[in-house]
Amino acid sequence: MMTRAIKSEFRKLFTTRLWWGMAIGIFLAGAAMAALFAFVVTASTPGAEGTPQGTKSQMANLVYTGGLSMAYVLTMTIGVLSIGQEYRHQTITSTLLAVPRRATAMIAKVISLLGIGAFYGIISLIGSVAVGASILASKGFSPFPGGDVFRTLALSLLVLGLWALIGLGAGILMKNQVTALLVMIGAAWIVEPLASLGLSFVSWGSKVVPYLPSAATSAIVNQPSQSPTVHQLSWWAGALVLIGYAAVLTILGMIRVQRSDVS
Amino acid sequence: MTATGRPIQIDGLTKSFGSFVAVDQLTCTMSPGRITGFLGPNGAGKTTTLRMLLGLVRPTAGTALIGGERYDQLANPLQTVGAALEATSFHPGRTGRDHLRVLAAASGVSDQRVDELLELVGIPAAARKRAGGYSMGMRQRLGLAAALLGDPGVLVLDEPANGLDPEGIRWLRGFLRHLSSEGRTIVVSSHMLSEVQQTVDDVVIINNGRMIRQGTIAELHGAPRTRVRTSDSAALQEALRSADLAATAGPDGALVVETDDHVRIGDLALGARLPIYELVAVQTDLETTFFELTEGTNRNLEGGDPR
Repeated sequence: MMTRAIKSEFRKLFTTRLWWGMAIGIFLAGAAMAALFAFVVTASTPGAEGTPQGTKSQMANLVYTGGLSMAYVLTMTIGVLSIGQEYRHQTITSTLLAVPRRATAMIAKVISLLGIGAFYGIISLIGSVAVGASILASKGFSPFPGGDVFRTLALSLLVLGLWALIGLGAGILMKNQVTALLVMIGAAWIVEPLASLGLSFVSWGSKVVPYLPSAATSAIVNQPSQSPTVHQLSWWAGALVLIGYAAVLTILGMIRVQRSDVS
Repeated sequence: MTATGRPIQIDGLTKSFGSFVAVDQLTCTMSPGRITGFLGPNGAGKTTTLRMLLGLVRPTAGTALIGGERYDQLANPLQTVGAALEATSFHPGRTGRDHLRVLAAASGVSDQRVDELLELVGIPAAARKRAGGYSMGMRQRLGLAAALLGDPGVLVLDEPANGLDPEGIRWLRGFLRHLSSEGRTIVVSSHMLSEVQQTVDDVVIINNGRMIRQGTIAELHGAPRTRVRTSDSAALQEALRSADLAATAGPDGALVVETDDHVRIGDLALGARLPIYELVAVQTDLETTFFELTEGTNRNLEGGDPR
């Protein structure tokens, strides 16, 4: 039952035009940001004002995952749409007729979104590693200065899946996909950066900032710290924080699906 | 006859939305090998009832079982029950064929079966275009194909004739007849009795969420009657009465006799030396019956007390 439901969820994504539009976006974001950061990293004098501070591995991580903040907003969008379109076009009815146990239907969505996140993660990495590594190498930098770079690449796949789940939960809770997209993209690109900037000026606030979703994401992929006053979480702590956000939103969403009438 | 059909048993089924009782203690049965018309005016609670049967809406009280099981307990739901609820629930950017393939994947049905069904409902080519451009008739046919995907023994179709042209309705009627003859349980909801009266064997009529009438279509027609016209109605009435045939005089002078035995009426008239000017079976106007059963009480039309 579960295997079939998961297969059905994958088919839902790959039978509309959304998936390749997203694939192109994620690929280009990965490639373009890798090019940008590769030039910044290789051109800057270490220690100069306004340049990213970090280890060689962190610099490589920044190159390869520079497009991640765009990519995760796109997989979050896929997460919102994976449920929002079902509500919008009432295909939730046929979904639940085929898989009437709602927990099964929802867990199938969760598993498929983690898979879809990894799939887009690979697309993003194809773009960013191809472009980033060749620029780094051509400037005489080691493209893979440490083994932890590979850990970062692997974890970036998880990051995109977790953001898709954040989107899924938000999509269920807000039900209207346009509202959910506006709220979530606004939160990710406007509210959160402003909040973390504001919070970093106050002492208690700078303790909160590392736990915000985007800061946790940077920590997972071990990019250089954004702000000298804010301490970045270790990669595994960042992963736990982001898993926490995804789990809370997904579980709240599943409870709502379990209880609500579909009409 | 295959033994695939399971009975649908609805018992005390109730759904309240706040203080509004959409379905009120509904009890009825729908049997294998028969087409049941589930009838009522718009807003009578038909769709809510079907959605409770299919596990989409949680009943406030009562049960709706398919062969003794709740829909969400079925091991292979689409292989047991096929449902077409509303003809508009397709993603406009996905082709009709892919819509079926998504459901096929969820229920372990092959893509080959998908293509067979598209042939069967007559839209094999159109189903390769995006569903956004489909006509109502095509949506109905695609919905029917989705319902038949798992070759289920129970079919639940909500207003399946909506948007079909007369040829399509004729095709649907023959198709449902064929499926029913294989022993399947078929439920067809409609707000118009005339739309389904030639298709259905049984009727369940509800209004304001409550059962109004359940029985065969023949029972709804009532006892057979014959209208007869002669030169002396009173004399013929007397002759019929002496043969234990009840007859009532209509305002136009014709008699309505409680039988469909035209030979007997003719013989009795001949015995009484009365001429026959007209001898014809009386057709019950089921639509009138339906309106009489459901009229004047529709809670959705009046602003006042819904009951």
